[in-house]
Amino acid sequence: MKLERITIENFRQYCGKQRVDFAKDEQKRVTVIHGINGAGKTSFFLSINWCLYGTSVENIKIIDNVGELMSKEAVSRAAIGETVRTSVDLSFLHNGERYQIKRMLQGVKLIDGTVKVEENDSFSMMRTRADGQAERINNPIGTMNSILPANVREYFLFDGEKIDNFAKPEAAKQVKQAIYLVLKLEILERSRRHLEAVAVEYRKELKNKSGQQLRDLLEEEEKARTEIQKSKDRIYAVHQEIDSAEQKIADIDKRLREMENTNILQQQRDRIERELKQRRTELEEIVNTVQGLATSGYFVVAEGAIKKAILLLEEKRARGEIPSDFRQQFIKDLINKMVCVCGRPFDDGSEEHRTLLAKVSHGLPDALQDEVLNTCAVLQAFEQRTEKHRADVDSAMRRRAELVDIIRALDAELDDLSRQLKGSPLEEISKLERNRENFKADVREYNFEVVILHTRIDELNKKIVELKKEVDRARREEKREVLLSTKLDLAQRAADAIGEMYQSFADEMREKIQDKTKEIFKKLVWKESHFQDVKLGPDFNLEVIDRYGYSARPELSAGERQVLSLSFIMAMSRISDEEAPLVMDTPFGRLSSHHRNAIAEHLPMLASQLILFVTDEELRDEARQNMESRIGAEYRLEFSSKTSCTEIVEVK
Amino acid sequence: MDIPVSRDTVTIDESVHKIYKDLTDGTDPVTVPFKTMKDVFLWAAILGYKRGERRPISGKKITIFRWAQFSSQTDIPVVKAVSLADGDDINVLLSQDEMLNVLEEFANSGIHELRSSLLDEQGQPLFNLVKII
Amino acid sequence: MQKERLMNLFETFDPAVKNIILGVLDIEQEHISMERPRVKEHIDEIVTAAAKKEVEKLEAEERP
Repeated sequence: MKLERITIENFRQYCGKQRVDFAKDEQKRVTVIHGINGAGKTSFFLSINWCLYGTSVENIKIIDNVGELMSKEAVSRAAIGETVRTSVDLSFLHNGERYQIKRMLQGVKLIDGTVKVEENDSFSMMRTRADGQAERINNPIGTMNSILPANVREYFLFDGEKIDNFAKPEAAKQVKQAIYLVLKLEILERSRRHLEAVAVEYRKELKNKSGQQLRDLLEEEEKARTEIQKSKDRIYAVHQEIDSAEQKIADIDKRLREMENTNILQQQRDRIERELKQRRTELEEIVNTVQGLATSGYFVVAEGAIKKAILLLEEKRARGEIPSDFRQQFIKDLINKMVCVCGRPFDDGSEEHRTLLAKVSHGLPDALQDEVLNTCAVLQAFEQRTEKHRADVDSAMRRRAELVDIIRALDAELDDLSRQLKGSPLEEISKLERNRENFKADVREYNFEVVILHTRIDELNKKIVELKKEVDRARREEKREVLLSTKLDLAQRAADAIGEMYQSFADEMREKIQDKTKEIFKKLVWKESHFQDVKLGPDFNLEVIDRYGYSARPELSAGERQVLSLSFIMAMSRISDEEAPLVMDTPFGRLSSHHRNAIAEHLPMLASQLILFVTDEELRDEARQNMESRIGAEYRLEFSSKTSCTEIVEVK
Repeated sequence: MDIPVSRDTVTIDESVHKIYKDLTDGTDPVTVPFKTMKDVFLWAAILGYKRGERRPISGKKITIFRWAQFSSQTDIPVVKAVSLADGDDINVLLSQDEMLNVLEEFANSGIHELRSSLLDEQGQPLFNLVKII
Repeated sequence: MQKERLMNLFETFDPAVKNIILGVLDIEQEHISMERPRVKEHIDEIVTAAAKKEVEKLEAEERP
């Protein structure tokens, strides 16, 4: 990130619009802004922060008192009811693209001289595309987070007052946080942690599933199919048995027909069996007829409704609401032509006219009329049909009863015959007949078995249909399971991978910072012979070690502590990947001149762009000289007690 | 005839679907008297009308057949008769929707009586049905 | 040098894992200024997309 230009409007003591163009060359990369204490350095610094981040970002407070932002002078100059506007416009370069941010706050001046400030400021962020077109950015916080996150900013937009924070003994936590944030360790750590959490959830979800289900269902389906096949095979076998038994019966019959003693009886039997077969077929037919008549016979039961409906329709007809003679349309035409039904013209208001009018107004729409007339006719025919239907049903049922009796009689005859044959004194005959009887019984049993088997097959088929539905459902579940376990695997592996990277990264980073801090610290501090080492341990305590090997921190002067802190900051700035300007507000304020000079010499190389707010005291003589060749822009803040405003003046 | 038509599906309550299936699913005319859902429906509707009770469908609706299956000689006149007898308003003849509503609600109440008369009583279902006639 | 080593380590990971890592790092960077960022859904999306691809790959391999 390299700052290009800032335009401040009515911000604190900056009245009207004021502008600063920052130095951003490779060689001349330092912008110096002078001002005595109170001239407005801090406000300027604040304006950059406010522009980038607003008064607070997430829970990070950037500025404390919003009301104080508006220029008092601008407010007093405004008329009552007039809108006062405070804004900061900042343009910067990042990764080769130009960004422009503007933050604005508005308020209306009230009668009592105060201003009613709007609760929220308006913020817009734009990027200039390669083709020169400006494009609005819809996700400013996310974008700023990828350029310079709010919680990292204090290591770059550096408040000189806080200069010795990192060197304090209790600063370990802050040091760690600084390193994590600036060096993206935090991102790695969060990534790993969140992926791990996600994996834990996947694992929990996965535990609740069971893949066993699908296998069981498929097994069941197979069992059902096997049973169906077995039943079918059995049916086939039984039919064979039936055939064989019937063949035996036929043989016996033939024998009996041939034998002298029995041929008459057998012939009788043949005859009876033929008739029996016929009658049974008839019975079947009559039952079907009864079925047809019964199921369609509901209208007979609807007698009551039909009668009532007919009455209703007749009533409508009788009341003259349905002209049974002629149509409504006809009547209307008549009225229009004022000609009576019989062809005579009539007058308005005449008797005929009134009658006809009554018929029209009481009449019904044609469509309904048709309905009524047709329905009435059809329903009236029902009475006859009902009678006939009842008669048909009765006669069919009677015929059925007859047939049942006939069949029963025939069966009785057969039994009788059989008994006669069985009781024959001739062993052979009685035996044949007994066998015949047995075979007949067998056939009956086989037929019964066949019926049971068919029913079983139907049931199994239905079951298979149900099972199929469940199998599909289980298959879909399984697919989801496979996806879930893959997710678990990947998430866990990713978390572990990051863990690996992180481990190797964290230690090395810490060491690097340590070494760089030491390098810079040495450059800046003259007492180097007293100090042996700078250490940044795994506990993130920043230590200076004297030549006896002990911690020298207690002996550091205030200035040295500040320089240590500064060294740390600069080390991070060098090592981190962030390209960000180092903006320092009175960094030299509390340092000795020696330190100042050393810092002035080395500072420019430690950042790609440097913006310094200084008092005249801070940057003088040697310090100034050391930095001279790097200074690309210089401004002076001039405060006028008359207007209470600060003016930014360029120093050429 | 310009009777405005909005729907031609005949529906029943999901909860009685099984009864309809029991009465039509099978090959033996004596134990499974009905061949079509339409016949069951009309029978149920008439019985419901005789009880004088209409029961609106409260659950999920299942379509079991379409208006087109009604015979114009017998079924439709009876449908009209029941609709007329129920409401005393001849305008109902113009609304197929309305007539379907009436019939469906009568059927929804009569189906239970149909089932118990045929299946719960002694004797074969077919002949129990004949008895009602 | 450190970066190189890190990159080399990174390259040893499965492409699916690499994609997930890159995606997640991106999301985390976007949310870095938040103390309790709501990234779980995003991460689930990233993992699910990668997992779906893996499953498809496996299915394609199983088909004769």
